[in-house]
Amino acid sequence: MKTRIVIAAAFLALAAALVLAARPHEPTADERVDRITAELRCPVCQGLSVKDSPSETARQMRDLVAERVREGKSDAEIEAEFRAAYGDWVLLSPPIASWSGLVWLAPLAAIAAGLLLATARVRGGAPINVAEPSAAQVAALRERVAREEAAEG
Amino acid sequence: MLSRAVRVAIVVAMLGLVVTLALAFRRDPHDIRTGTIGKPAPAFVADRLDGGGTLSLSDYTGKVVVVNFFASWCLPCTQENPALVRVYERYRGSDVVMLGVVYQESRDSALSYVKRMGINWSAVADDDGRVALSYGVFGPPETFFIGPDGVIAGRHIGPIDETTLITGIEALRREATR
Repeated sequence: MKTRIVIAAAFLALAAALVLAARPHEPTADERVDRITAELRCPVCQGLSVKDSPSETARQMRDLVAERVREGKSDAEIEAEFRAAYGDWVLLSPPIASWSGLVWLAPLAAIAAGLLLATARVRGGAPINVAEPSAAQVAALRERVAREEAAEG
Repeated sequence: MLSRAVRVAIVVAMLGLVVTLALAFRRDPHDIRTGTIGKPAPAFVADRLDGGGTLSLSDYTGKVVVVNFFASWCLPCTQENPALVRVYERYRGSDVVMLGVVYQESRDSALSYVKRMGINWSAVADDDGRVALSYGVFGPPETFFIGPDGVIAGRHIGPIDETTLITGIEALRREATR
């Protein structure tokens, strides 16, 4: 009985912890700065986000993001400010509704092209012609098999 | 065998790739069109490097403004400086204004460079990098051409020469007199 109570209590505690962890919470200012800067490309680095870059430019960009967060600007407004200066390039994930967003279509286009190619090959491929062997060929083959069997003893 | 339609599609795709690459290679990598081109130049008020108060971009509305981002630690900035000096002297006292913005450098060091290099046009500090960030600067030297209407008409990344400077300035002056 005691063991069951302990197990039930453990399950309840686990469930409560999961509910608390999954509960939507308002991100702190630091979390917002981290989230926004993780999406911004560092202009003086190669493939690094502003969050991860140790460069002076990235530090200045992080300071600017932090200031805009303190001013109460939304994530979209802050991103828009950097896009106005650097273009969509500054976003590590190009927005779908833009010319650079066409890059998202590339995998789909590649799959479509592959399917098209495969379909064309399957439909257009010539059937393999297997001609019936002539009586002379069959006889020669039989003779060869018999010879090999005899040789093997 | 591939069907005729598929073969045509492959040829068209390859032609498209060739045309795209041909057009891309024709572009001068120094003249990059980013977010700021064709848009109003971001306004700024910054401290003059010589300690003579502040300078506001809006003071130059109606003039052709050449904004040059520079630093003494930047070798290409030193290389382009003679061209900037010659062009400044050419348009001195006219409707063309040149402004220098210090990029990621201490004021003392930048001031010493300005004096050494004969930079007689106004130069301002940008300690927190806000001016550079608002213009989308990647690194010095970068030069922006702002028309009398306050719109950024062109941008040059890397060391600029006299011909490019004069061409950019004259295009904006012609536009202004139209």
